[in-house]
Amino acid sequence: MRKLLLSLTAALLLFFTSFAQTVTVTGKVTDDNGNPIPSASVTVKGATSGVSTDAQGNFSISVAKGATLIISAIGYDDASVVANSTTVEVKLSIGTRNLSEVVVTGYGGTQIKKDVTGNIARVKGKDIEYMPTPTVDQALQGKAAGVFVNSMSGKLGQAVTVRVRGNSSISASSQPLFVVDGIPITSGDLSSYGGATNTLADINPNDIESIEILKDASAGAIFGSRAANGVVLITTKRGKAGKTNVSVNFQTGWSEATRRVDMLNSDQYAEMILEGALYNDTQDGIDPTDPDSWTTYVKESVLDYYSYGQWAQNPSKTYNWQDQFFQKGPYNQADVQFRGGNDRTRFYGSFQHLDQKGIIVGNSLIRTTGRLNLDQKINNWLDLGMSMSLSRTYNRRLPGDNAFSSPMQSAALMPMSPFIDPNTGLDAGTPPGDPGLPLYYNPMLSVKYAKFSQEIYRTLGNAYARAKIMKGLTFNSEFGLDYLSQNEEGYWQSQTVRNNSSATNGDGQNTGTFVTNFNLNNYLNYNKVFGKHNIDAVLGMQYQESSSKYNSVSGMEYPSNSYQKIASAADVYAGTSTQTDFRFLSYFLRANYTFNERYLLSASARIDQSSRFGKNSRTGTFPAVSAGWILTNEDFLSDTKFLSFLKLRASYGIVGNAEIGNFPQMGLFSGDAGYAGVSGQRPSQLANPDLQWETTKQMDFGIDFGFFNNRLTGEIDYYEKKTDGLLLNVNVPATSGFQTITKNVGKLSNKGWEFVLNSQNFVGQFKWSTNLNLAFNKGRVDNILGQVITGGVSGMNRVMEGEAVGVFFAPEYAGVDPQNGDALFYKNIKGTNGELDRTTTNNYNEAQRVVIGDPNPDAIWGFTNNFSYKGFDLSVFFNGVWGNQINIYGMGRYSSANMLYEDNNTADQLARWQKPGDITNVPQVRLYTINGSQASSRYMVKGDYARLRTLTLGYNFTPKIVKTLRMEKLRVYVSAYNLLTITQYPYWDPEVNADDFDSNIAKGNDFYTAPQPRTFLFGINVTF
Amino acid sequence: MKLFNKINFGITTISAAVILMTGSCSKRLDIYPYQSIGSDVALLTESDVNATLIGCYDGIQSTSVYGGDLQLFNALTGNKDDINFTGTFAPLNDAYNAAMSSNNTYAASTWAGVYNAINRCNYVLSALDKVTSSPENRDRVEGEATFLRASMLFDLVKLYAKFYGDGDYASNPGVPIITTPTTEITEANYVSRNSVKEVYDFVIAELTKAQNLLPEDNSRYATKFTAAAMLSRVYMVLGNYTAAREAANFVIENSGKSLETDFEDLWFTEINGGGTTPEEYIFFVKITTQDGINDMNTFFGRTISAIPGTSGRSDCKIKDAHRAKYEAGDVRGAFFQLSGGNYYTKKHLDTYGDVLVIRLAEMYLTRAEANVRLGESVGATPKEDVNLIRERAGLDPLDVVDLPAVLKERYLEFAFEGQALSESKRLKQPVSGLAWNSPKLIWPIPQRETDVNKNLVQNEGY
Repeated sequence: MRKLLLSLTAALLLFFTSFAQTVTVTGKVTDDNGNPIPSASVTVKGATSGVSTDAQGNFSISVAKGATLIISAIGYDDASVVANSTTVEVKLSIGTRNLSEVVVTGYGGTQIKKDVTGNIARVKGKDIEYMPTPTVDQALQGKAAGVFVNSMSGKLGQAVTVRVRGNSSISASSQPLFVVDGIPITSGDLSSYGGATNTLADINPNDIESIEILKDASAGAIFGSRAANGVVLITTKRGKAGKTNVSVNFQTGWSEATRRVDMLNSDQYAEMILEGALYNDTQDGIDPTDPDSWTTYVKESVLDYYSYGQWAQNPSKTYNWQDQFFQKGPYNQADVQFRGGNDRTRFYGSFQHLDQKGIIVGNSLIRTTGRLNLDQKINNWLDLGMSMSLSRTYNRRLPGDNAFSSPMQSAALMPMSPFIDPNTGLDAGTPPGDPGLPLYYNPMLSVKYAKFSQEIYRTLGNAYARAKIMKGLTFNSEFGLDYLSQNEEGYWQSQTVRNNSSATNGDGQNTGTFVTNFNLNNYLNYNKVFGKHNIDAVLGMQYQESSSKYNSVSGMEYPSNSYQKIASAADVYAGTSTQTDFRFLSYFLRANYTFNERYLLSASARIDQSSRFGKNSRTGTFPAVSAGWILTNEDFLSDTKFLSFLKLRASYGIVGNAEIGNFPQMGLFSGDAGYAGVSGQRPSQLANPDLQWETTKQMDFGIDFGFFNNRLTGEIDYYEKKTDGLLLNVNVPATSGFQTITKNVGKLSNKGWEFVLNSQNFVGQFKWSTNLNLAFNKGRVDNILGQVITGGVSGMNRVMEGEAVGVFFAPEYAGVDPQNGDALFYKNIKGTNGELDRTTTNNYNEAQRVVIGDPNPDAIWGFTNNFSYKGFDLSVFFNGVWGNQINIYGMGRYSSANMLYEDNNTADQLARWQKPGDITNVPQVRLYTINGSQASSRYMVKGDYARLRTLTLGYNFTPKIVKTLRMEKLRVYVSAYNLLTITQYPYWDPEVNADDFDSNIAKGNDFYTAPQPRTFLFGINVTF
Repeated sequence: MKLFNKINFGITTISAAVILMTGSCSKRLDIYPYQSIGSDVALLTESDVNATLIGCYDGIQSTSVYGGDLQLFNALTGNKDDINFTGTFAPLNDAYNAAMSSNNTYAASTWAGVYNAINRCNYVLSALDKVTSSPENRDRVEGEATFLRASMLFDLVKLYAKFYGDGDYASNPGVPIITTPTTEITEANYVSRNSVKEVYDFVIAELTKAQNLLPEDNSRYATKFTAAAMLSRVYMVLGNYTAAREAANFVIENSGKSLETDFEDLWFTEINGGGTTPEEYIFFVKITTQDGINDMNTFFGRTISAIPGTSGRSDCKIKDAHRAKYEAGDVRGAFFQLSGGNYYTKKHLDTYGDVLVIRLAEMYLTRAEANVRLGESVGATPKEDVNLIRERAGLDPLDVVDLPAVLKERYLEFAFEGQALSESKRLKQPVSGLAWNSPKLIWPIPQRETDVNKNLVQNEGY
């Protein structure tokens, strides 16, 4: 067969070159370091076929003398040589001009970037290697145009918001679908404590070869009802034929909080709170020296009491509680990777151990992973292979942001309140000392006397068989399994009883979560070149079945704090077990057609059926088409010197979002309504048999260009996404006994521009390259049938027609009345002429709510500069967002509230109104009487930031030294992560969203939320 | 070549078969949840109805209903002069200061909690034909659901509408009366407020019906006497003292219940009583370590090291001025816990204590008040009734019992039990400097509700 093919090829070549003299050229293709590159393709310019290099990088081809050979290999820049001699040596450089890159398109498909007609962003594993982010989604931040990543909190292993081209949903998930080596992995929150966790934490980011983000409908339609939020395809590294490489990387360093907040000191605090007490006494007509007066109460029961009587003696002594809970967390990570093989067997194996402490006391993450990816050629028509990763992730977790035991909340403790109880020498509030101190529960007690850990064992495996049926046609069968076994254990010792009333004699909890997610893919790939036509198609099916089982048991009353397993609990007071499943059955088809390397056409479709859809709407069909035109391959442009590549492309398609929960369509009763030990049931959900996926229609127009021999390349895209049939938990009158019913109503849209620019500024010995991506997205809710959908802190996030999803809606703050210190609000009542009444009022209820902010950024960007000179390399990566607002009301209503309560306040509250004539934005202090600390635009701040995300300086030792040390490569590096954050944000960190309030529509809230870590690392990388 | 073709043919066939045969997977898409069942198969038998009735109690046990918030609202607004509220839950702080706004989350959750429980009652009442074991069981089931629904509507209308006596109660908007279970949402679910009078007429009719249907003994669930006791409260609000006294007297004389010998034994039901409900309790919500949260404990309670099993947010500090109102030797006046320089009521320290709604002592003082007002002595003289309560509190009997004496006794006996605002309004007494009928003392119809249902009229001032 092969011989026939070769002779055919030869014959064809002969035909095309019958008038020319032919020569047989043999050669060797190597990389910059002299390592052979197997499977590189060698073609004659202008012809459509060629040969491949063998495992040693050798090739042999007969061509017309003087013909130009194009040598290309995945991940390398193309090279060309003129066939003048019979032997050639070709060196390929690691790919930098991304037009020659191959992108993964799903279900075994790959396409050369220049032929792609959809919008697929590619992030190379190399670009996110050894970043100190425990999860791969965090590493994507700023790396791909139109992919918004917000880590929400500096707590380790917690959920990350990822939005591809805006937020396409309200009630269903807006996170993209994550697919690892063909398996849609288990995602979403599986934690029973604190904020949502991140199931990507079990994946070693350094195992990743590439990440493709399918952004438009054309790229995504093959994932049908699961693609509306974009699809993130993660491909892990595989073996390469050739010498076995062993690469060892070790990095060590530490993390600390990016920023601190300036709080009041003891003198300032006392001044403010006494001012408030005096106001109250004056109002009530009580003499401040009266024992029932507020002033007496504050002096005795607040200032003295909470300082263990120390305030009276030393009123200036200040305890900065931030020093208590922020720490310098050590970071250590070791990686070993093996990569090699021959022409029949190829393997990639890796081990990783990561041990990281958080920036907040009590938070740590330890991950150990191992992976083996194996590809075996059985014979000339059958390949077998597998990918298998095993991991253990241990996370010592922190409570949710809204818990008194969350260490960050101690920022609100009084500055005169000592860390240590002077009577006992123990942390304030530790029994046998007074448990009523400090003002709120001292979170240090939970750090020391409580523990909540999450331990996950995860197997992610995929076995495949690939059979060649005939030339160009292969059949693939893949069986994938994602098995996740999670154990959570919490124990609260008796010292924590103030926070956990069940912990009088200890309280323990143990939960198990088991998610079995298996996946079957069967598909045919067809690839055929005839003449100027190139066809590439895939047809197949997928079946996925996921089952989540959960159980939990809680017990209290332990003999002592030394007994911490529920076996010792005298009162096992709670236990549960639950299960929930979902299933998908899908058929898909995709065909790409290229004519004459100029005209590109692609069509795809998927049919999805799912257990999640209602009886009346079980099946959905999702088609897409796209087309491209490579103008630079046309004769009229082929001679243009400066313009080396120009392609126009357009796509249109329909995709869906099926992340609507598992049984939203059924009318249900739940059996959880027992009372005092007797079982009971209750109506729990209204039925909707018509319920289905959400539908997004997306069009995309793009230009890909390359100038100056592709030293400057780029992409410009414009897209419009229109989503309808939005799944809404439609509010119904609570008088019905229900709050919501789930329906497919509502429409929203996203449109935006994306710009990508890659430039090789300097090539040669001093190299400088620049990559810029910039994306603008404008989301708009078009129709929600008048529903009122709220979320977030005090329900301030709102979904409103004509606005982006989750805008902040509250009265508009108008500052302070200079006469009396009252907080003022704009009435904003709409008059008959449609104009807003801009007069002010001190009656909060009189002020109408208006849109006061938007948590969605207008623009997101990433900007990378890479320099190298001799052995040195320097990478400077900035990213940022602008145009969004952050709602700080969560913390502000307590801690930036002109001392409404006894909480410590931020130092900016010192600017409060004190006497008639004062011009300020901070109202008069009135203890326990609300004056301006209601939800309003007073608590709306700019969320813009620009951040020096990574700065890495590395040195590669010269080959001479490396050879002496019997190594192949030796690199040392230092890197800093989040070194610099440029922002006007008043609290800790503008990359924020309070975990306890997070939902699809509730973004941009700060509630004593942990800031991002600033990490410093030293690393060494050795390859043998 | 031939062999290869055969193999190819084989693979093609297999792959086509694999791709097509997986069509049989589609049957695998019919799966059901595990923790829930279809509403079409949930109410088919008598035991289904009984389970749903238990679900009604689960509904009222919610913190936003009788699990504490209905009482808490009353206490926070009604007891401002007695409490320093230092909590940081803004909606409660607003309630304390009678400065609520229509987006008060507690106002919203109580409204929703009550109607959620009412819907459960309506499901039970719609399936009475399934209760076929005996007419008595059917009456009991109907009586319990009827009682719970009426009781909640009564407590709701007191908070969310103008009080009886404030203007014309026949035209003042009350709260919606819902009597049908919700199976789907139609126009009919966009209800209007019934008038206050309609609500009271409904409540009286239903409680009377429940009293007739319910048995005398019914474990911890509603009995004839629970319904009668609630009726006595309704009649007191309406100033129908004869009927109020009759209902109270009926409970005292027929329920077989008696006052606890020691006032202290009324509390710490879990810590001291091991979960035994005091004999004196008539209507209450059971809290166990496994089920339910006592929201009065959450906000009035405090962790006292010396009393294991106590907890709470320490939000309600009792003023010295309040403690000064008790006579010397009054055990109720000593029923406060000093901690951290402040006093806390001992009534709500127990984390798993039952949440009280009505106890027998109220029936005595209701009978006494009604008799005083009517100048009669049905059942007992006012003096006898009042002194019974006083003597238990360790006080000397009074020689003369007039209306102020009865009212003072009521105030001290039931302090912080969640009746203060209603009592002040009933007696037309000012509340923390506001007139008894000030719109600020009336809860807003939750903004969420007026947003979603334009037929609901908002209260004045919101």
